[in-house]
Amino acid sequence: MNGLRADTRLAWQLLRGAGRREWWRIALTAAGAALATGLAQAAVTLLLLRGSYGIPHAHGLLDQPGTRAGIVVGLLLSFVPVLGFLGQCARVGAVHRDRRLAGLRLAGAALWQVRRIAALETGIACLLGSVVMTCCAAVAVLLTWSAPTGAAWAGLALVAVAVPVAGAGAGALALRRVVASPLGRVRRVAPRSGRTYPAALLVVTVTALLVVTATGGGTGGRVRWQGPAVVCALVLAAGVGAVWLSGTVSRLTGRLLAARARTAATLIAAERLRADPWAAARTHAALLLVTVTGTAFLCVRHALLAGLAAADRPVADPAYYTAGLELTGAALLVALFLALSALAVAGAESLGARRRTLAAQVASGVPRAVLNRALLLETALPLAPALPAAGAGGLAAGAWYSALTGAGSLPWTALLIAPAVYASCLLASAATLPLLNRGVRPGELRYA
Amino acid sequence: MSTRHILLGLLASGPSHGYDLKRRHDERFPQARPLAYGQVYTTLQRLVRDGLAEVDGTGSDGGPERTAYRTTEAGARELARWAAEVAPPAPYVTNEIFTKVVVSALADGDPAAYLRDQRAAHLARMRELTAVKTAPGADLATVLSADYALNHLDADLRWMTTTAARLTTLTAEVDAT
Amino acid sequence: MRHTDTGDAAAPLLAASDLVKTYGGTEALRGASLDLRAGETVAVTGASGSGKSTLLHCLAGMVRPDSGTVRYAGERLEEAPERRLSELRRTDFGMVFQFGQLIPELTALDNVALPLMLGGSGRTEARERAGTWMERFGVWGQRELRPGQMSGGQAQRTALARALVTGPAVVFADEPTGALDSLASERVMTVLTQTVRESGTAVLLVTHDALVAAYADREVALRDGVTAPAGVGV
Repeated sequence: MNGLRADTRLAWQLLRGAGRREWWRIALTAAGAALATGLAQAAVTLLLLRGSYGIPHAHGLLDQPGTRAGIVVGLLLSFVPVLGFLGQCARVGAVHRDRRLAGLRLAGAALWQVRRIAALETGIACLLGSVVMTCCAAVAVLLTWSAPTGAAWAGLALVAVAVPVAGAGAGALALRRVVASPLGRVRRVAPRSGRTYPAALLVVTVTALLVVTATGGGTGGRVRWQGPAVVCALVLAAGVGAVWLSGTVSRLTGRLLAARARTAATLIAAERLRADPWAAARTHAALLLVTVTGTAFLCVRHALLAGLAAADRPVADPAYYTAGLELTGAALLVALFLALSALAVAGAESLGARRRTLAAQVASGVPRAVLNRALLLETALPLAPALPAAGAGGLAAGAWYSALTGAGSLPWTALLIAPAVYASCLLASAATLPLLNRGVRPGELRYA
Repeated sequence: MSTRHILLGLLASGPSHGYDLKRRHDERFPQARPLAYGQVYTTLQRLVRDGLAEVDGTGSDGGPERTAYRTTEAGARELARWAAEVAPPAPYVTNEIFTKVVVSALADGDPAAYLRDQRAAHLARMRELTAVKTAPGADLATVLSADYALNHLDADLRWMTTTAARLTTLTAEVDAT
Repeated sequence: MRHTDTGDAAAPLLAASDLVKTYGGTEALRGASLDLRAGETVAVTGASGSGKSTLLHCLAGMVRPDSGTVRYAGERLEEAPERRLSELRRTDFGMVFQFGQLIPELTALDNVALPLMLGGSGRTEARERAGTWMERFGVWGQRELRPGQMSGGQAQRTALARALVTGPAVVFADEPTGALDSLASERVMTVLTQTVRESGTAVLLVTHDALVAAYADREVALRDGVTAPAGVGV
């Protein structure tokens, strides 16, 4: 216990002495943790409700166990982009952190000590986000719920503790290779494979399915779980396929273009993709998933609305149905925003890690325009085939659902999702370009 | 530096006479002081006296008469022993630069100015040696001897740089004694 | 060879006078002056923190001095627009740093070919010309390796090839052998001096090592941001 206190103090001191880059990481991690806490707390609160209620929100969608389960699944699925975002934030300043932890090892810290300090660093940031969000959640619960149950409070508290603990665990897991050697892996960050992300995706989806079946069963097994299960499986398959596609496409475009590149910008972008295709795949995974889901969602929405309009007798409260659709749409937009933020964070981090090389290029007269183009191409090249493929996957799922319900037609807006995501990706990438112009100074050439 | 052993080493490749030995020495050790002709002969006679070398024969080739020498078995053994022997690391600082700086400080001179001039001279010599060393076709002996000299000059230079920075304190300490 | 003719053989190719540069309260340069004539190699020496690198950055147009002038072939660099400076560094200047100037993802050959491609050469032509330079610098055998797979000496010789491939008039070398052992350092310096002697390229060599400075034709010593006449380096 004494050791833990000393480590906590050390982790706190390291955080206090950290530079601006580190504060960025903490702020972003805290924001991600806050989102995760909020989602989990909402899901837990809804899960603890049994039977029917009269909740004056969301057009009565929260009243019945069946629709409530759907919302819980939606909330849980929203975890995917949040996790992706958090994963990206953990990488901010990874090179610096690697050096610092290697320094700790050299100073005589044991492997488990360094791991604990690294975990605590992430844990503290997550705790910050979790505390802020829990306060907000408590206020919200008090305002909306006349008599919150003890179980609800316990659930909130459990989540508030679980998120920092999970964050610390993930931090230790992410740094498992970094802290293995006292000399650090400072110089070269070896390419990682893209296995972790699909695995996390699988875990989240399976959890969501279990939750639906478990809570749905509580009301007498009247929830038709086959439909949602198939949709989830399709989304999952499309998502994993998209990640795999993105990595493979990155590697292939890199290899093919590196041999044939005519201009300096293409050559640099292609060689960077070839060197680490999974870096791109990791960042693009959430984007591809959003594209699949978004495209499928627009088809499903179209079919449902068509079904409502064609119903024999007029529906008493159409808002009851449309509210669910709008909620899902909003969740997808938030997911897209998070995925784009992760992309921008990844771009900024990559610029930060390569400051010295970039400064040397500018010093040798490589025009900034060439470096800017290389940076944009790095995003544009692998997404060019992957996004249409993701869109096609979503469209296939949507068409299948549409055929199932007999709606027969598909909305043309579904076709716009992939190009729109592509354009916003380029914009998010372009947003990091000012960092390139600002961060590249001759001063970077002075030190190792 | 042992002229005896240098001559024994040169004789190891085969019999030769005094003038030839001097010429080969000056070729092999271009950065060393050239051997005096008289010194070669006295040393050869001592080697013969000690049984390390012997007269191989005399010839004239139409010119003045020359005696050729060759190494003996004892000479080869002595050469091997000497070549393997560790040289004692120089225990005393007898360098002129060091002496001049200290004396100059004692006599209220301007050691800093002296160091500046000395440094310029050292660097000029280092540039010459570097040019000799990097000239196309420089043989191994030239490169090795230039390297040796360069590294010693570099050591002097480092000492001069440190000393210049220390000079004020050094002067004060010398004055105090 | 790309030599800018100033019309006056005695005029220096690159001349800096009374340079002053302050970084956040620290005076890196407090009146540094230096002339570099075409084809000559000048070593800038001095203790760490004496302003050597800042002087090089000012001369190469990477940093603008607070006051003082830098003239390259009659052109005032301290007031030239960034675009022009970048162009000069690409065409007329070559850069070698202690390490890190090679792009880690590119092969050695592509790294050397990059300046030529930026200058508008086709990839094949650029790689061919880059190849002859790599051969000259003894790194032809490493052409398909990436910088991380080469030894420090090989990487520096590749960097030299990259700096010289466009036929610059001036090469700026900031501690080019700082991370190398004595033999690797000697090889880098030998190949550099021999090449620039043949091509008539001027070199500004920043170093704290007298053994490296000895490869230059003359020395300019910096002390606390001020240049001293030759020999007054200590």
